[in-house]
Amino acid sequence: MNKTLGQRILDKVNVPLVLWVLALLVYGSIVVASATSEMAGGAGLLRRHILGAVVGLVPLALAWAFDYTRLRGWHGVLVTMGALLLISPRLPGIGYEAGGATSWIQLFGVRLFQPSEPAKLIFIVVAAAVIASFKGRIDSPREVGVVGAYVAGAVGLILLQPDLGTGLVFVAIAFVMLIVGGMKGRYFAIAAGLLVVATFVVLQFGLLADYQEDRLLVFVDPSRDPAGAGYNLAQSKIAIGSGGLAGKGLGSGTQSNLHFIPARHTDFIFSVLGEELGFIGAVTLLGLYLALLLTALAIATSSRDLFGALIAAGVLGMWLFQILENVGMTVGMMPITGIPLPFMSFGSSAMVTNLGAVGLLLSVWSRRYGA
Amino acid sequence: MPTVREEHRSRFGVLGIVIIVVLSALLVRLWTMQVLNGESFAAQAENNRVREISLEAPRGRILDRNGEPLVTNRSALAVSVDPSHDDVRALLVRTWTEDTADDPTSSEITEMFGEIADLLGTTPAEIYTQVTDVQQEALRPRVIAIDASMEAVAQILERQTDFPWALVEETAVREYPNGTLAAHLLGYTGVISQTQYEQSDEYAGYEPGDTVGKSGVERQYEGVLQGDKGWRRIEVNASGKSQGVVSEQAPRPGNDIRLTIDVEVQRVAEEQLELALAESHRQGYTSAKAAAAVVLDVQTGEVLASTSRPTYDPAAFLGGISTAEWEALTAKGSEYPLNDRVVMGAYPPASTFKVVTAISGLEAGITSENSTYNCTGRWTEMGKQWPKRCWKRTGHGTLSLRAGIKHSCDVVFYEIGYELYKRELEELQATSRLFGLGEKSGIDLPGEVSGRVPDAAWKKRYNENYPEYQMWLPGDTVNMSIGQGDMLTTPLQMALVYAGIANDGVVMKPHVLKDVLGSEGEVVRTIAPETLHDTGVSSEVLGVVERGLVDVTETGTAKGAFAGFGPTVAGKTGTAEVKGKDDYAWFCAYAPAEEPRYAVAVVVEQGGHGGSVAGPAARNILAQLLGEPIETVRATDVSR
Repeated sequence: MNKTLGQRILDKVNVPLVLWVLALLVYGSIVVASATSEMAGGAGLLRRHILGAVVGLVPLALAWAFDYTRLRGWHGVLVTMGALLLISPRLPGIGYEAGGATSWIQLFGVRLFQPSEPAKLIFIVVAAAVIASFKGRIDSPREVGVVGAYVAGAVGLILLQPDLGTGLVFVAIAFVMLIVGGMKGRYFAIAAGLLVVATFVVLQFGLLADYQEDRLLVFVDPSRDPAGAGYNLAQSKIAIGSGGLAGKGLGSGTQSNLHFIPARHTDFIFSVLGEELGFIGAVTLLGLYLALLLTALAIATSSRDLFGALIAAGVLGMWLFQILENVGMTVGMMPITGIPLPFMSFGSSAMVTNLGAVGLLLSVWSRRYGA
Repeated sequence: MPTVREEHRSRFGVLGIVIIVVLSALLVRLWTMQVLNGESFAAQAENNRVREISLEAPRGRILDRNGEPLVTNRSALAVSVDPSHDDVRALLVRTWTEDTADDPTSSEITEMFGEIADLLGTTPAEIYTQVTDVQQEALRPRVIAIDASMEAVAQILERQTDFPWALVEETAVREYPNGTLAAHLLGYTGVISQTQYEQSDEYAGYEPGDTVGKSGVERQYEGVLQGDKGWRRIEVNASGKSQGVVSEQAPRPGNDIRLTIDVEVQRVAEEQLELALAESHRQGYTSAKAAAAVVLDVQTGEVLASTSRPTYDPAAFLGGISTAEWEALTAKGSEYPLNDRVVMGAYPPASTFKVVTAISGLEAGITSENSTYNCTGRWTEMGKQWPKRCWKRTGHGTLSLRAGIKHSCDVVFYEIGYELYKRELEELQATSRLFGLGEKSGIDLPGEVSGRVPDAAWKKRYNENYPEYQMWLPGDTVNMSIGQGDMLTTPLQMALVYAGIANDGVVMKPHVLKDVLGSEGEVVRTIAPETLHDTGVSSEVLGVVERGLVDVTETGTAKGAFAGFGPTVAGKTGTAEVKGKDDYAWFCAYAPAEEPRYAVAVVVEQGGHGGSVAGPAARNILAQLLGEPIETVRATDVSR
């Protein structure tokens, strides 16, 4: 059966996915440009943002070209790589501390990247392989225990840094994958119960750094630290709320341009967007995300095997949780943790990782009919 | 073989629902925040970026009756410390938490403020005290020096990296073109106290740290002098750094006020008081340090001059008075230079009070101008066991009431007082009160005291815990009749008594404000003369007293003080005995006697005799008022 060139391209490329990602990249660059325009070295920051996207094309292309089914055999290598990545910031001489967490690595004094970002993708692939081995039914405690052990291992290593937010991302990824993997409802209930207990234990026994505890508790009680974490939340809410329906216009956000918003080009980029582009701008972004996530869901359903579906679901879970957590924290619905907004936040590690994730989706898509 | 999609359709459905639920939750949240509550958040954003700074209004000027400036404003360079600067905050946190808590000499404070203290000629401890002044609004810069030397200012400006918390700003401060002249009357300004702030009218718009009048006219007419604050709205960033002015409302300066004071008369009064003190010392009364003098217009109640010694420099209060200076001004041995003795000093009036006794006796019909009395120097009417002496131990012999005033014979007034006592009508007290003694005159100055007119009820109350002393005795009235005993008056009250006699028995309410001027210099409010008491004393009675008083300055106890003085003066000397102290010298008078215009009262604490110390001062003050030459007079007086 002969296919036209167009059909052959459509077999390999999920055009909607590419379109949505492209749109998000453009949208993100515009907002980052506005957020950094008044900052020292702002133009340089925008260039780095775009450079991150360009660099991200490399993992995207590699993951796309690579037959994802072969990754199942790489289990040992991937687990080792993932563990090494997560431990690396704690290795003497290469860790870089910022904001109370050592989640970056640096070599020769140059800050390189956040290893936990690419580790997310490795975790997705490994977890997909493990869950797929249960053939779509997770109904014995042993199976749940195996998956739980992987999740606990990854989260445990991340909490060494400690980077609570990223830890939560891993949990969310596993959660979404387990839905597709066929975990029984009662196990979800048990897991949720365990999570609550764990949270309580962590808070009760002071396992978190003070600032992390503050961030979490400020969510419950914003007056707890109005000058610190509470201040950030209050300022962010004022920025977004004051944006109104249509926003104050790009570059005209008084809250953000007068430096009321902390980390406004990274974790709080949505505050800038909400203030300057208003409800319309925010809905536009949520619309793009909805399209992106539904496209990822469609790719998952189109997969020729459960492994591919699980990979796609993992990527979907990663994005969904990061959107919920990041936007949610800027509007006071979620605790404040440092998680970037996919394709929007300034930051190369996350950008490269997200584009790598797009590559994984394309890999699953392009192989949906078999090799 | 079923595809993944077919096999797990429901699971993908769940995932799709999760996506929709999450995004919908965010959407709803954004809709409430941005669309439903957008305006409220917009208002918060506006408040966030705009800070309002209040601009203090220049205080109104204080002028004399002829428009001569007494208090004006000038601009000065002020050095202040920004208490919100990180370095300062860190220091405060450390010094408050360490054990050295309130030790302003701790080494950290010296390290931080030592150099700037040297530049400004103050001490680190002094700066620390100012910076930690809790009476001021937390973020307001604390002024640590006004009129710093140009070198100091230049150094501070050049070395901002060494003193990043130090600010140099131009500020308006009070200027006193006549130095300490009329310091008590004018008063000084300072930072509003906690109590003043809490009690102030909210519409006055005071803020902690504001400068307000603390005493004298500055305090009395604070509401007129203060003006309305302006404001400047500045856009700030998150760290409070100014990004520019958004809008501004200029302050409205306070109104100028014109006082009833004549700067020339005031100057003479002050000089004469100094000379009186010097004269006291020359005569051997070396404890004389304090004195007061006041001049009234008898027809209007206007105060033409009012002065008190010792005095102080109101300029010392500019930008906050140093602890050392404040302590010096309030120390026990300082004679309290901040007190305005004209209204706050309560003294036995001694023989100057005899006019009241004479009027009371004349009104009661128990004496007349030519009633005769016999003074042997010793008076035993109340019984041999209660002898009283005249100041003239050898006695005045036989003399009339009029001569009794002229020579200040005590026996004459003992007699009248005793007669009044026997009538049991407390007429002497009533007459005293008719002329305003024992109560505040209501002069427009803060801190006035009421003095004391003793009577039976008072004595009973006063000796509440000593029943044996509660009864009003004949000796009480007798002592009172010569202005001793428990009688206490202020110099202002005695001036009012003489002004009342001069003004045909009508005591006018004293006041220091003449009028309030508007922004164009136009009069917006005038103080009209107001009757304080119409005593109803007949002209005949007043005439008797006046003739006696004229005798005093012409041939009596004040003859020396008024030798060669042109206009006729009706006056009276007084020499008050105060237990454990040297005698207080008094002189009260009005002039010209034929057509009275001015009343004057002078008191010199521990200065000796009225005729030799207070009288010459009063003479020269009247000389200035009546266009007579001011002369150095050496007079002797041994009367009481």
